[in-house]
Amino acid sequence: MEKSQNINNKQGLNETLVQLKCIFENAIHAIIVINPDGVILYWNPKARVIFDWTEEETFGKKIHEIIIPEAGRNEHLSWMEQFNEGKVVNNTHEISALRKNNTDVNIALGISLSTINGERFYICYISDLTDRKLISSRLDKQKEFYENILNKIPTDIAVFDKEHRYLFVNPGAIKDEELRKYIIGKDDFEYAAYRKRDTSLAQVRREQFLEVKKSGREMRWEDSLKSPEGNTITHLRRLFPVLDEKGELSMVIGFGIDITERKLLEEKQALYVEQLSLQNVQLVDFCNIVSHNLRAPLVNMSMLVTFIEESTDEQERKFLISKFKPVIENLHTTFNELVESIQIKQDIEIQSENINLEMCLNRTLEPFEAEISRSGAVIERKFNEAPEILFPPKYLFSIFHNLISNSLKYKSPQRKPHIIIETKKANNNIILSVSDNGLGIDLVKHKDNFFKIGKVFHRNPNAKGFGLYMTKTHVDAMDGKIWAESTPDKGTTIFIEFKNQY
Amino acid sequence: MNLFIVDDDQTFVFLTKKTISSTKIESQISEFNDGQEAIDYLKSIAGNALLLPDIIFLDIFMPILDGWGFLEEYKLLLPKLAKKIDIYIVSSTIAPYDIERAKSHPMVSDLFIKPLVKDKIIELLNK
Repeated sequence: MEKSQNINNKQGLNETLVQLKCIFENAIHAIIVINPDGVILYWNPKARVIFDWTEEETFGKKIHEIIIPEAGRNEHLSWMEQFNEGKVVNNTHEISALRKNNTDVNIALGISLSTINGERFYICYISDLTDRKLISSRLDKQKEFYENILNKIPTDIAVFDKEHRYLFVNPGAIKDEELRKYIIGKDDFEYAAYRKRDTSLAQVRREQFLEVKKSGREMRWEDSLKSPEGNTITHLRRLFPVLDEKGELSMVIGFGIDITERKLLEEKQALYVEQLSLQNVQLVDFCNIVSHNLRAPLVNMSMLVTFIEESTDEQERKFLISKFKPVIENLHTTFNELVESIQIKQDIEIQSENINLEMCLNRTLEPFEAEISRSGAVIERKFNEAPEILFPPKYLFSIFHNLISNSLKYKSPQRKPHIIIETKKANNNIILSVSDNGLGIDLVKHKDNFFKIGKVFHRNPNAKGFGLYMTKTHVDAMDGKIWAESTPDKGTTIFIEFKNQY
Repeated sequence: MNLFIVDDDQTFVFLTKKTISSTKIESQISEFNDGQEAIDYLKSIAGNALLLPDIIFLDIFMPILDGWGFLEEYKLLLPKLAKKIDIYIVSSTIAPYDIERAKSHPMVSDLFIKPLVKDKIIELLNK
């Protein structure tokens, strides 16, 4: 009562408080007015809602005794002291306070200083944090839930603004937390510069982004990267635009899924398919050989036998018997050639050696000497880039023999043969080319048959269609590659790639 | 009866001609060593119904231009031909895909696996 009268005496102050009361009565915050000693002068209805004390119950009491729990009182007092010295101004504190029933309530306490009629007053603004805490804890849980999904999903996710700056990346995309924080608000070029990386990938990504932005449509692609362990990792990537309600681009979301395993499986499958089709080609070849080279002579012989049996004329019988000879010879040659090619296919143990090409070629040319001088052939050699080849000597000798034999055999009647034999390095491999200025063939017509057994493209009595077949067999046996370029009446070049030379 | 045999197997051609002559059916036979020789000649006589054959015996496996290649070229030549020609594939093939392809080929009347026996020839030439 004393204190009440004391205030009443101060007429001006009383009037001010009455005015303030009108304002504070309906405020949404709890408002408590205290003097520098912490004595409560005013307590609004909202304060009653939070703390359960009425204005009458609190009037004249010290604020720390009413709402500050025992444990926080000293801190509160020192804070008040600092406040009195003018050190802390208009600061909001989140503290735990006490209700009338001694339960805790989290509040935000803000204090502002007013001087009325030369006296200092503190107006405390208090809001109940319980509701806010509840909402924010719910938000936190929700955030945690979504972040869990975004962070743990085995996918890399990046969200960009309209200018291709990062709004979000998940740990799938950037593992390092610092880098993940750094990249927000930056673009790929800034990131590449920061990580001292080449900007070529950033350039590609920018073009893709602009394409998506322009077309408004999703883009998909696959890309492969080398992992630090040296494995190839393949991602299926998608970049798609997100439009706002006005239909304007608001952001672009990109994500990638690791499809390495699927990719490996696909590659394995492709390899099997290739092997199968190769086996099928070999089977077809075999069928052709059996049909044409073996069955045909047998048919001829059985027909001859029938005619001989039916014939009564001794002269005619002799003539028919003479017809056997070329058939048998032909069968014999075919048989030997087949044995030879099968031996190559079976001889997986054959040893490769480093062969000096100059020497090997000289040896090859010996049996052709007469033909070379007769035709005036010029044989040019360019072995300086790769003077040696690692290969079974028997095979390389046979390859040289067959290719040179072909170039001489199918020479143009208008030109002296000019044969260029050259080797070139190609990574770990060596590519040998033998090119001539001979008859050439129409590869559009014959490309499927070029290296097949028994396929002949020129009317030459010595053409049997076995040389290139054998050459291919030799090359295939050592896992190499063979192909040809040819133009009718210009010439032919045969290329052979010898694998794993270095 | 005008007959073309397109086959690089000299022995087979000789024996087939002998079989045909043994049927006593009057026939005129022209031989070609490969598809190219045959197609070149056909081109040169395309408008002449008298010189064009009634029947072609066509081998598959031949140098320069094989039986399939011949049929490709023949297809282009067909509108210019003054006469309908029956083409029979005569091959020693045992390959199912060859047989299937020959049977379903629009230019091919039929397929015979070698040898070409006398009865078959009589049946064909009397058609």
